[in-house]
This record gives sequence, C-alpha cells and structure tokens, in this order.
Amino acid sequence: MEEDDPSKVLDLIKDLVLRLLSHNPTSNSSPTSSDFQKSLRYAIRILTSRMTPSIAPDAAAIAESIKRRLATEGKSSQALTFADLYTKFASKTGPGSVNNKWAVLYLLKIVAEDRKCRQTQFESSVLLPNLVASDPVLGKKSSGAEKEWQKGVLLVAKDPENLRDVAFKEFANLLKEENEVSEEVLVRDVLYACQGIDGKYVKFDNNADGYVLSNIVKAPRATRTMVRKLCEIGWLFRKVKGYISENMERFPAEDVGTVGHAFCAALQDELSEYYKLLAVVEAQSMNPIPLVSEAASSGNYLSLRRLAVWFAEPMVKMRLMAVLVDKCRVLKGGAMAGAIHLHAQHGDPLVLEFMRRLLRRVCSPLFEMVRSWVLEGELEDIFSEFFVVGQQVKAESLWREGYRLHSGMLPSFISQSLAQRILRTGKSINFLRVCCEDMGWADAATEAAVAAGTTTKRGSLGYGETDALESLVDGAAKRIDKHLLDVMHKRYKFKDHCLAIKRYLLLGQGDFVQYLMDIVGPELSEPANSISLFKLSGLLETAIRSSNAQYDDPDILDRLKVKMMPHGTGDRGWDVFSLEYEARVPLDTVFTESVMSKYLRIFNFLWKLRRVEHALIGTWKTMKPNCITSCSLTKLHHGVKLQLLSTLRRCQVLWVEMNHFVSNLQYYIMFEVLEVSWSDFSNEMEAAMDLDDLLAAHEKYLHSIFEKSLLGEQSQPLCKSLFVLFDLILRFRSNADRLYEGIHELQCRTIESSLPSRGKSTNIRSTEKSLETASWLADGKKALTQRAREFLRNVEQDLAALAKEYSSLLEGFISQLPLQQHVDLKFLLFRLDFTEFYSQLQPRV
Amino acid sequence: MDPEAARTARESLDLAFHISNILNTGIDRHTLSVLIALCDMGVNPEALAAVVKELRQEPPSSEAIISKNTTSLTRPT
Repeated sequence: MEEDDPSKVLDLIKDLVLRLLSHNPTSNSSPTSSDFQKSLRYAIRILTSRMTPSIAPDAAAIAESIKRRLATEGKSSQALTFADLYTKFASKTGPGSVNNKWAVLYLLKIVAEDRKCRQTQFESSVLLPNLVASDPVLGKKSSGAEKEWQKGVLLVAKDPENLRDVAFKEFANLLKEENEVSEEVLVRDVLYACQGIDGKYVKFDNNADGYVLSNIVKAPRATRTMVRKLCEIGWLFRKVKGYISENMERFPAEDVGTVGHAFCAALQDELSEYYKLLAVVEAQSMNPIPLVSEAASSGNYLSLRRLAVWFAEPMVKMRLMAVLVDKCRVLKGGAMAGAIHLHAQHGDPLVLEFMRRLLRRVCSPLFEMVRSWVLEGELEDIFSEFFVVGQQVKAESLWREGYRLHSGMLPSFISQSLAQRILRTGKSINFLRVCCEDMGWADAATEAAVAAGTTTKRGSLGYGETDALESLVDGAAKRIDKHLLDVMHKRYKFKDHCLAIKRYLLLGQGDFVQYLMDIVGPELSEPANSISLFKLSGLLETAIRSSNAQYDDPDILDRLKVKMMPHGTGDRGWDVFSLEYEARVPLDTVFTESVMSKYLRIFNFLWKLRRVEHALIGTWKTMKPNCITSCSLTKLHHGVKLQLLSTLRRCQVLWVEMNHFVSNLQYYIMFEVLEVSWSDFSNEMEAAMDLDDLLAAHEKYLHSIFEKSLLGEQSQPLCKSLFVLFDLILRFRSNADRLYEGIHELQCRTIESSLPSRGKSTNIRSTEKSLETASWLADGKKALTQRAREFLRNVEQDLAALAKEYSSLLEGFISQLPLQQHVDLKFLLFRLDFTEFYSQLQPRV
Repeated sequence: MDPEAARTARESLDLAFHISNILNTGIDRHTLSVLIALCDMGVNPEALAAVVKELRQEPPSSEAIISKNTTSLTRPT
C-alpha cells in the first residue's frame, strides 16, 4: 500500500464493499446502514491482516496454471481463449495499463476457485442428506453432477418435496428395519469387545475362537463381517493380556526372569496406551457428527467403518505384540531379547519405532548384567538369563572352565566376538579377584567406565546403542587385560618362572645338569624301589649349591622338587627319576597338570639324552689312557697283540660313530628346538594383549618343543627307535667298560709275569686277588696268552654284533626322518648326514 | 490523462473482464475496475480475494463457512 494515498485506497475499498453488498438482495446497501459499516470494518480488517501475498509474483506462472486447470476441466476452447486474452493483456504496457498484472490474475484465479469449490460443497450438502449408510451410487452421481448443476438442478434439489430426498428417507428406513440393532449399540459392543469384555450382542465364542455377533440378532452379513474384523483386536488383546497376567503372577516364584518381567512391563505400557485410545474413542462415540446442514438427522460420530480406520494402527501394534507373546512363551533371558530383536528388522517405521521402544525396555536388564559383569565381574543372574554362565571350579581351572558363553542366550544383536570380549573381561576380573587376590582392577574398571562416557550408575546403556556398549567393553577389556598382564608379569614374575622351567626342567642350565648327573648317577643305577626320595632331594640341593643355580631366586629354587614316577619291578632309578616344578596359584592357570605332564615327558627325554651323552663321555675317559697302555703291551705275543689292536680299533670307531650321533642330536635339541622356541615364545609374550594370548603363546611354545623333540603322536615310531638306540649305546658303554677292564687286567698280569717279585708285593692287598693271581701264574705265560685271546675274541664278537645292530637301527632311524612333518627335522637329518656317509650307504641295503 | 493512456486502460479492463468471465468469477465490470485499482496500489491480492469471498453473500455461503470452521476430531497419536 502506498503511503501517500491512504484516503484513495479507503475510497476504493468503500466502493468495493458497496458494489459487493449491492449484489445481495436481502441487505440494505446504503453506505450509511449498520450492515455496510460492519462489512466495511470486516473488509478493512481482512486487508490489513494480510499485507503480503503467500506466493512469488509471477504472472506467467499463474496464467499457465489457470490455463492448465481449464484444460483439465475439459474446457479446452476456453483455455485457448484465455491464452489469447492473456497475451494481449500482457502486451499492454505504458501509461494507463495495469501495472500489477500478476496480482489481478491471481485475484481472479482465487475468486474463481473459491466460487467453484463453494458450488460443489453446496451441491453435495444438498444432494447428500446424512444417512446412516450412504449409497455409493449416489456419491458417484454427486461428483458427476457438476455440469448438471450449472443447468439448474440446484433449484430442483433445494425443493423439500424433492423425490430424491423422499427416496433417501425410504432407504434409511429400510436400513433401520434390516438392522435390528442400531449401529451405535454395535459400536459400543465392539468397543467392549476390544477391551476383552463381552458386550450385549458381541460375545466371545469359544468354538470360533473370537468375538462374534450373536446369531439371534438380525443383521446383514456385511455388518457381521465388519464386527468380526474389528473384534480381532479384542482377541489379540485377550491373548496379550493373558500372557502378562500369567507371567506377573508367576514372577517372583518361577523363572520368568528379569527380561521376561521387563517384557511384560513394556507390554503393559503399550496396553495402557491402547486404553487411552479406547477412552478417547468411547468419549467420541457419544458425540453426534458435526454436520453442514442441521436439517439432516445425524447419527453418532463413530460408525463401524470409522472405527475400522481408528483401529488400523493399534491393530498393527496389537498383532505385533501377539506374535511376540507367542514367540516368547517358552523363551527367556537373552534368547527372548534375541527373538524380539529378530522382529525389529522391519521396514515399516511404525513397527520399527514400536519395536525399538519395546526392546529398549526388554534389554535393559540384560545390558545391566553386561555392565556389572564387565565392570565389576559380578554375575547377577539368578534366572540364568545371561549369556555368560559361571560354574564352581577350583582356582586353577577358573580361567579355563569357570565361565563360558551360553550361545542360546546370546541375543543376535551382540556379535560373537563382542560376546567373547565381554566374557574375557569379566573372567579377568574374577581371575584377578580369586586367583591373584588383587584389588587394583577396580581402579581400571572405573577408569574404563569414565572413558566410555557412562558412569557406573545403573541403566546407562540401552538397546540400539551397540557402539556405546562396544566402546565400554573395549575400554574395560583393554584396561583390565593390561592390569592382569601387569600383575602376572610384575607380581607373579611369569617370565622368570618360564625361564626357570626352561633352565631346570628342560636342562638349559648346563653346569647344574652336569653336577646333578655326576652326583645322582650312582644312586640311580640302583633298583627303583630301593631309592630314597629324601636322599635324592638332598643330592638335588647339593647340585644346586655347587652350580651357578645357587644365585637364582630362592623362591624359584624352592619350587624345584624331585619326583619319583610310579615304577614297576625291574625299573632302575634312571627310569623313575624326574624333576618337578611347583606352579602355585595363579600360575597354575598356565602350568596346569596336563602342561606339567608334558614338561615331564620332555624332561624324561632330555634326561635320557643327557645320560647317554654322559655315558659316552665316561667311556671316552676310560679310553683315553689306552694309547699309553697299548705301547706297554709290546711284550705280548704277536697274534694277541694284533687281535687286541683290532678290537680296540673297532671299539673306537663305534664310539666315534655313536658320539657323532648323540652330540648332533643334542645340538639339534638345544639350538634348533629349545632356544628357537623360547625366542619365539618371549617375543609373543611381549606382544600378548591378554591372558588368553599368553596362554596361547605358552601352549604354542610347549607344543613346538614337544613336536620337534619327536615326542608327538605322529613321531611315535621314531621316538621308539631313538630310545632303542639309546639303550644300545648304554649297552656299548658296558661292553667297552668290560673291554678296558679286561685289558687293564691283562696288562697287570703281563707285568706281574715279567716282574713276579714286584707283582707279589703289590698284589697282597686282597686274598681273593692273590688267589687268582696265583692261578694265573700257575698257568704260566702260555695259558695267559690263551686266555687273553679268548677274552678278546669274545669282546670283539660282542662289539661286532653291537655295531651291526647299531648301524641297522641308525639306518632305520635316519630313513624315517624325512617322513616327518616337521621342517626342523630336516636340519637334524642334514646334521647327522653331513658328509652323506649314510645316504651313500643306504642304496646298497 | 492523455487519450492514449485512457485507451490502453480501457482495453486492459476489457481483457481482464473477459478473463474474469472465462474463469466464471461472477465479478461485474465496475467491481473489477475497483479491484484492479486496488491491486495497482499494491494491496495483497489474496486479501482482496478474501474480501470478495466474504462479502459476496450468496445464499449457501453461511453454511459453507460453518462447515469449514467446525473443528474436527483430533486423533490421538
């Protein structure tokens, strides 16, 4: 509005009002009448209330829309005319033309549309008296009657004596007659049925399993169907309600479980929402329909049809609830939450929202359990609903067997790996508490809770916040695992104990083993049943004190014990002796009995190997002075001398061969097996993030030693033949000893026979010996030679047999080596057969 | 006002009246001229249309207004 001519605008408005009122024949159109004044005030109020139009000023767009509307109404000729007029209208520019062309067009358009819509409204209100049931044919006619209206049908319709009106009234009466029960009553009954209460006409029928309109009432089939459809919600309601009351009754006594309880509570809330709706609907059902014309008699607002629309959404929810109730009848805990979660995978936002709300309630006890488990290690699960199950076990197997996942109770929205992490975190806390007697975990847990952004208050996690849960679990797991490993390493010195086991049980500490072997050796040659454990323990103590082991931690040395294995008759001490390392809580989680028995087997193997090596070294010691003695045998008979030399030679060769084998095997075990495995193990120990990693690393370490030392299942035959070889070497040792004893004796005799006076004086020590010497002397030199020859022949024969057996056994052993799976055994083969001596030998056999 | 401008104004009014008739607005020529003048002064056409609508008292209009103003039942969610 321009500021300079408000009076002009006012004049124009006055004029406009006057013109408009003059159309109305009933009103007094004089500018002074009160009617006019009222209208004018009204007009000015309207004009001042809306200062700016709601659309952008665009004349072409408005013209286009008018044109299109005309065309769609089937007035194409008018549309063309309009287009023509518009182009002319738009081309008028310059002084005197209309400046605000779009406004004029827009004004005309609105007025035209308004008029048209008023006509149709008017038309329908006349043609459609409000009947209880409207005739669809009539409705169709009303929309098609637009053209007729222009031809003056309106006047006919307005006539109260109209035939059509009379026909409608008749139809309405007919309907009333057919329906014995009025619709209002039916609506009321249906509303009752929806609350699970029998109405006057609509009752629950056990045979049909649903609410039906009783047969004694006369009603058209359509109405019956309608009632039955509407009453489905009542049936569903009964079901849900029944489930809730059943569970609530049982709750504290029987195992409905907290999740089940939460589910019931959530359902109850949904039902109370439903009650609210019913209350509103019921209140509305009493109101009459607001009608355009007061003339037509209106029924109550709610018809069965309207009710169907009202119940569309609650029906969906109620169906969903009924389905869930059916699903969950036998389930509980995590399984129930999982089952409900499966239903939440739905594309319908209504269903999705509903399920989300429900699940948030249902899962809250479950999440609460997760929270207290992860942060406090508490298993508050009286109804066994949680997916972690605990059982009473001894402290040493707490980690391995104390807790496990119950996959049936694991809801599908928690992934398996997350569940594993949850399990381990709580387990770590319990392990720390029970086995390590450590309280530092509480700080770690609090820290984790703070880091995850949730306080340790209850009910802070909910369904759908899997990320939050995951971050909480991760944070807690990381901190608690770290704490646990710290405790294991620092307080319980895990690595030191592993090292001690390697040094003592796996014979890594050379000087200690040497001393022990020296001291214990004679004792162990006795039969097993005559050996005293106390004496051996004392010897062990001596060995420790005389070796470098004495500088080790007394706590570690304290744990090292002698153990006698169960023995049968004829067993020697060698067979039953072993060392044992006592792993106390909490280290016995790592060094369990089965692990220790593996260590025991490895120890036995290594001990045997050491013993054989020790025996060979002992033989070497006796052989060593022989080169000198052989020189002094020159006085012997020539034939005997040759024989002696060849026997000695054979013995030497055999020894060298055996020594080669044993020392290479020893080397292999030490450097290819023990040290390599240990280095791998200590790397993995550094990298371990949690106790499971540590256990796995240790397991791997032990397994690798076990397999590579030929103790595994698959290398059983190889191991057997190895032990036979060991036995053979030990036999060789006794033979060699016998040979050298014989030679020594022979030497003595020879000297005695050549120097009888001296021999006599030296040999008086024992009567036995002097008697023997006397017989030898009596036999004379000839007999001596004879005896020596015989003895040497025997020994040589034995040695030859031994050598033959040995070479065949060794060949068998070497030929078996390449068949083993372990790559490292190739190195052993390579080492043993470095000069290809054996592989050249083989093809000939 | 020079005769040229007067002629243009008359022709414009003629054209507008034609359009008005085609659209079946039921507005007579004089009223239309007043409306155009008001539009040219910058009055909101929507408001003008409302005035025309309200004041043109056609017989069924009272009922129509009532039906429009009656509040309908709001659905609880």
